[in-house]
Amino acid sequence: MKTRITPRRVTRWSLQGVGVIACICFFLLPAYWMMSTAIDPEAAFRGGNLLPSGFTLTHFHEVLGRAGFGRFMLNSLLVAGVTVLLSGLLALLAAVAVARFRFKARTSILVMILIAQMVPLEALVIPLFLQARSLHMLNSLLGLSVVYLAFSIPFAVWMLRGFVAAVPIEVEEAAYVDGASWWRMFWSVLFPLVAPGLVATSVFSFITAWNEFIFALTFLQDDSKFTVAIGLQRFFGQNTADWGPVMAASTLITIPVIIFFVAVQRNLVSGLSAGAVKG
Amino acid sequence: MATRQAERSRDVPGASPRRSRRWTGYHAAMRRRPWLLLAPALATLALLLVWPLGRVVWLSFQKYGLKELNKGTTNFIGFDNYAEIFGGSYLYTVVLPNTIGFAVVCVVLTVVLGTLIALFLNGLPPLWRYVTSTAIMVAWAVPAVTGTYVWAFIFEPSNGLATNLFDSLGLMEAGSVNWFLDRLSFYAIATLNVVHHSIPFVAVTVLAGLMTIPGELYEAAEIDGAGKWRQFWTITAPTLRPVFAVVTILSTIWDFKVFTQIWLMPGGGGTNPQVFNLGVWSYVQSFAQGKYGMGSAIAVVLTLVLMLVTIIYLRTLFKEDEQL
Repeated sequence: MKTRITPRRVTRWSLQGVGVIACICFFLLPAYWMMSTAIDPEAAFRGGNLLPSGFTLTHFHEVLGRAGFGRFMLNSLLVAGVTVLLSGLLALLAAVAVARFRFKARTSILVMILIAQMVPLEALVIPLFLQARSLHMLNSLLGLSVVYLAFSIPFAVWMLRGFVAAVPIEVEEAAYVDGASWWRMFWSVLFPLVAPGLVATSVFSFITAWNEFIFALTFLQDDSKFTVAIGLQRFFGQNTADWGPVMAASTLITIPVIIFFVAVQRNLVSGLSAGAVKG
Repeated sequence: MATRQAERSRDVPGASPRRSRRWTGYHAAMRRRPWLLLAPALATLALLLVWPLGRVVWLSFQKYGLKELNKGTTNFIGFDNYAEIFGGSYLYTVVLPNTIGFAVVCVVLTVVLGTLIALFLNGLPPLWRYVTSTAIMVAWAVPAVTGTYVWAFIFEPSNGLATNLFDSLGLMEAGSVNWFLDRLSFYAIATLNVVHHSIPFVAVTVLAGLMTIPGELYEAAEIDGAGKWRQFWTITAPTLRPVFAVVTILSTIWDFKVFTQIWLMPGGGGTNPQVFNLGVWSYVQSFAQGKYGMGSAIAVVLTLVLMLVTIIYLRTLFKEDEQL
């Protein structure tokens, strides 16, 4: 089919084109500026040059070699991994309970989970810091990932609930007709069907733990235990910043997150809107 | 009410109401099951969320510093911490405007711009929509920590991108102004950072809502002679009311709690009291000055403000849809 070209259509197309370019430039600006500075040999003197002055990997060498940023990345990976596993398991069980069963306290539990997402971390960090200090767990990466459960579980329950509710009830009934017990049905029917949602939720929990700042800043005092979010501070002097390495390290932190985000884009949107909107 | 609940509980798969008496054991198991499934998550949250919140309230009535911490003693002073917070002018002239004013500006900008972008994306051909929304997702993905460093670099007083841009436009001389020292320009940069980071959530959620509205509604409106503006307010806005309620309240909650984006900006990490918001103030009092009691009291105030917002949130949600 051929679309007729009318003056009105042309105006519309060009307006859309301008809009698309404006959106892309505005939203990609920080990411572009970060990555192009990371490879610029003259990073600190870049000023207003839109293009980098050349290509070099020295900033990355410095970040991973002398500054030991690889260690921080491993620490973050460990913390985020443990958080994802624990919160995924606990939240999936809880999400099945609130999505599939009708019981008296159900609404109150849902309300509590909503309220839990509102609690400011600034209020939790003081008591949890004092507690961890008296338990001598301040420099423990495992302790940090347990603390992260406080905010990854409520979010994961809220999101997974939408995915569990989306599985038609007839599928479960068919399993019962075949004589399956509830747990059998859970592992062999419900679990595989919810798996995509679990992946999206896990990615989200991973990113939250990977990026978390305030608890890491407060809990970790030993250089060797730093996570990426606070490891970046190493490149800042009293009044100066070493912009090349800062941006190279930032790039290393950001790239995995961007890949994850774009990969789960579709699931993320359906999960968020199902959990948050349809109720 | 009780009978309605009882009827509902029969809808449980596998627990068919027509089963005979020898199934009561099974019924009891089905009644216990949700609690069994919830127990691990609820126990974790009680330990990591409820108990610490209780302790923060308890601490807020004490003068609790390193001395008390090391000795393990308590030192109750009643409402003195709160009296200090609400008695001085610092709260009203600096902290509250920095917290509430900033949150209101951010929420309005985020929701309005996010909605406009969603409407724009909805009108694009699929390929272009995909490309543009992927670019927007990248903005969402950039972590708050690294994003803040990049904006700090862009606005660096002597040699940043924005500095050079304004210099070449003749608006100012590079190196003559440090935006991070002045409270208003500090928060203008923070607003740009936060809004840039939170528009994607609004745009993507509203877009998902827009795509569920059948196109026939707009066609009918067009035949009736309604313009775009009219169509938005009579079709789009009412249909997406629940979506707007959710994104507005979630943005409000998030923007009240902003900490990282302030803390990591030059001067935001405790050196310039003019730019503190409630969260930063609480953190500085506790961890820079060792006044954990005072910090806790400020944190309680922040929590109460957020509680208020959340109650409004829940009321809107429940009005929309009685059954959660």
